[in-house]
Amino acid sequence: MLLVGSAFGAVEAQDPRIGSRLDAPTRKAISALVDSARAQGIPVEPLMEKVYQGLAVGADGPRIVVAVRSLTTELGSAHRALGAVASTDEIKAAASAMHAGVPVVELGKMKKQSGLRRSLTLPFTVLADIVSRGVPVQTAANAIRSLVGAGARDTDISTFQRNVQVDIEKGAQPAAAAETRAKGAVPAPAPAKTDKNDKEQE
Amino acid sequence: MPDWSRTTLELIVQELQHPVRIDESFDRRVMVRVRRAYAERRPRGVAGWLGAAANLTRRPAYAAALAAGIVAVATVGILRSRPAHVIGAEPIPVQFVLVAPEARSVAVVGDFNNWGLGDTALAAVNHNGVWSVSAPVRAGVHRYAFLVNGKQYVADPTAPRSSGDDFGMPSSALVVEGSNQ
Repeated sequence: MLLVGSAFGAVEAQDPRIGSRLDAPTRKAISALVDSARAQGIPVEPLMEKVYQGLAVGADGPRIVVAVRSLTTELGSAHRALGAVASTDEIKAAASAMHAGVPVVELGKMKKQSGLRRSLTLPFTVLADIVSRGVPVQTAANAIRSLVGAGARDTDISTFQRNVQVDIEKGAQPAAAAETRAKGAVPAPAPAKTDKNDKEQE
Repeated sequence: MPDWSRTTLELIVQELQHPVRIDESFDRRVMVRVRRAYAERRPRGVAGWLGAAANLTRRPAYAAALAAGIVAVATVGILRSRPAHVIGAEPIPVQFVLVAPEARSVAVVGDFNNWGLGDTALAAVNHNGVWSVSAPVRAGVHRYAFLVNGKQYVADPTAPRSSGDDFGMPSSALVVEGSNQ
């Protein structure tokens, strides 16, 4: 409630007309959703961003509420699947992948396999992108999982995304593009490095 | 009246011309620390390195090497993670570009500027049909779109798509890396 108030307040300070764009029932429904999300430990900032987006395009109140409710559900599922170690950005990216059609179970598996330190924000973002471009969900998930598992950095995965996009735009079958590019995107293993070597260097 | 600026300059040059003896292990130690800072890419690591570097004797050569090391770390960090879509723990300038020769106006709206509510849209500048604008964006994952001619939303054709088009607005995803990623 506080966040909704302060968030709306910040925008209203810039444009007093914004407050009047939301009717009372819409405002009440969104406040309830935000309160519910916060109680579950779900990040609420993305919910407010959705409200602003709806207002920007001139969507009516009920449509905004439906979008916020849907996002709340997706964020909640992502939050539970990824666990407490997930960052807000990872949860947002995972929710976006879910929206594209990736099963939440798949996202949870990736997080478990990737370890605590590896952020999956970019991999989830790319996963959502290539699925939206027609790559079958399982093919896309396998590709991203193989890249992350092989130690691909975010830069490698960004390059993979651009290559798949270009291939599809040139007429390649999405699945073939993703499978082929995933094979070429895995970086060569780095030379073995031991703590002993580090100590000797020092 | 003596030419003080010239004299001072000559003294500095003279000092710099003195051979400076550097510990043979200096380069190796610097590179080890650079690699660590680079690998960890965390403020704590870099700060630790800088803190340790502060204990070096303040001699011209050391200062130059230290400055070069700082520049190298900063440059490597930027080059490494800047590929398509950005970097940095603090808000950093991100350039948005749209090729739209027929457009009369182009602006950028996204969750980082409340989707343009309250006149916060970022107006792009036209360079013969190539519209661009730079804006500081904080670390995280963001969604954005171009607003063409004040009414048509267009996704960035060079960026990953964002899948949450609940309002029929095509949008793109932007990942700005933070220090924990």
